[in-house]
Amino acid sequence: MNHTFKSLKTLAVASMKMYYRNRGAIIFTIIFPLALLAVFGFLSRSNNSSVKVDITNNAHSDISQQLISTLKSISALKINEVSEDTARTDLGKGNTDLQVIIPADFGAVDSKTHALASTKVITHFNEGKPQNGQVANLIIGQVIAGFNSKINNSPQIISVDSSGVKTNNLNFFDFILPGILAMTIMQLGIFGVSFAFVSLKASGALRRIQATPIHPRNFILAQAFTRLIIGLITVGILLSLGVIFFKFHMIGNYFEFTLVLILGILVFLGFGFAIAGYAKDENQVAPLANVIQLPMLLLSGIFFSRDAFPHWLKVVTDYFPLTFLADALRRIANEGVHLTQIPLELLGLGVWGVIIFVVAINVFRWE
Amino acid sequence: MNEPLLQVTDLRKTYDKGFEAVKGVSFSVNKGEVFGILGPNGAGKTTTLEMIEGLRDITSGTVILDGINTTTDPYAIKERIGIQLQSSSFFPNLNLVELLKMFSDLYDQDNDYMELLREVGLEEKAKATAKELSGGQKQRFSIATTLVNRPIMIFLDEPTTGLDPQARRNLWELIEQIKAKGTTIILTTHYMDEAKVLCDRVAIMDDGKIVALDTPANLIQQLLARGFKPHTEVAPATLEDVFIDLTGKELRD
Repeated sequence: MNHTFKSLKTLAVASMKMYYRNRGAIIFTIIFPLALLAVFGFLSRSNNSSVKVDITNNAHSDISQQLISTLKSISALKINEVSEDTARTDLGKGNTDLQVIIPADFGAVDSKTHALASTKVITHFNEGKPQNGQVANLIIGQVIAGFNSKINNSPQIISVDSSGVKTNNLNFFDFILPGILAMTIMQLGIFGVSFAFVSLKASGALRRIQATPIHPRNFILAQAFTRLIIGLITVGILLSLGVIFFKFHMIGNYFEFTLVLILGILVFLGFGFAIAGYAKDENQVAPLANVIQLPMLLLSGIFFSRDAFPHWLKVVTDYFPLTFLADALRRIANEGVHLTQIPLELLGLGVWGVIIFVVAINVFRWE
Repeated sequence: MNEPLLQVTDLRKTYDKGFEAVKGVSFSVNKGEVFGILGPNGAGKTTTLEMIEGLRDITSGTVILDGINTTTDPYAIKERIGIQLQSSSFFPNLNLVELLKMFSDLYDQDNDYMELLREVGLEEKAKATAKELSGGQKQRFSIATTLVNRPIMIFLDEPTTGLDPQARRNLWELIEQIKAKGTTIILTTHYMDEAKVLCDRVAIMDDGKIVALDTPANLIQQLLARGFKPHTEVAPATLEDVFIDLTGKELRD
């Protein structure tokens, strides 16, 4: 056991040195996400025009008024109170980004139980500008979540305090950064690992390791540990730059965010090892890696919302590991939810992780 | 004579597509000897070695090395042997000392890395990476990595292929040194002069089978006894002797 640990440590240290000395690879893994980060960061900075929202208040209750005035106090939103028809026309012409309908029973109190009737606020967003709609949706969801928790905790339903809402400055960059981090994790895992690993295989260096008493499982473990550290450093750099230069707002908890990052890195490392373990050389890696990564890059809702997809495509992409990862990161960062509130995403990632590591160990070939 | 260190019995390898690379090979290797496997390319030398080393699955037959069965306990075999592969490649971006340390750790052994490098004449290259070495240096380094676990037996697969005469003779000296320390050696080659100089006994393989097995001197005797006459008078010196005489024994790499 001690011996195994020493082997693991020695391989991890050796691969860390190998990676650290390969400056070219380091630059390549970080330069693409860095460029994306900068582009979106500057876009979001220069594009200060607020998101236009039309609200139709069918309730006229105190609480609906409270909701509207809270939303009006958010600088990122430009709120107009209009009729449902006008709002629909505005949205159709592209004059607004989001239409919000507060139903008539919003804020109504059940005469017997004195509890608030449960109801739904309906929103429609402009599919031509999904980013803005997405951000507005997020903000409104956040505000309503804030209302709900206040209402549940306190019998004074009407006395809602809007100052506690933290979404004031949520912008498109805040929405996109978790997506960029998720994408970086996928690329580090799939491309970073599979190419580096398969070149060791093609050159015969892996075969030489096979001639020693180390078990393939331990070899993969040591490599995975190294790559996990590298992944965390890379993602940490991107996140710090986002915070320092582009004022990224983390609404949730950094610790929980990091746990999800680690889970994500492990899952995508599994993909990298499965590909590299199976493929014989770089020529076999390239198509495999692309077939797996391209659909996820395009269809996991990283850069644009999946809401515009046909239903069947949305259902399929719901199960992509990158969808689970990006959604989990976004919900923590943008909505401030806790891990206990995203069991589906975590379970999804966990299941993918188990599947892919079982596959990786079984398809592994030394040469 | 004691029990042989290695006993190979009716070893066979059939690949997926039905190709029989090794067709029933049996031999034994005694402690302390240098055993050569000779044969043209594709004779099954490397496949035979790799099955003994536990690197390739055995189709049928048994390999017992130091009392351990390769099929049932490949990791225990690997602990006890040192393997030089035909085309050696090492992790990039690590220097020779770091590589030796890594290999030592994989066997849970401590070594004086500079001393190991000195044994193979590479102490000046301690800070170089494996890629920066010449062909002969790379083979010597490769042999150094087979020694990190103080193996009872080392396997050298075509150690001198592609080397110039100086590097080849230098490697012979290294192999003799390792033998002198009591390590048993199996090597493959297709140079007959090399086999004659280094090997106590040789097996000649062709088409997946051993066609002859004896000491080099006996094999020559048997051939002559069958009435073989060489085409030309055997010269008292060879062209290689001329080459070495003119260019010196000094290593060029």
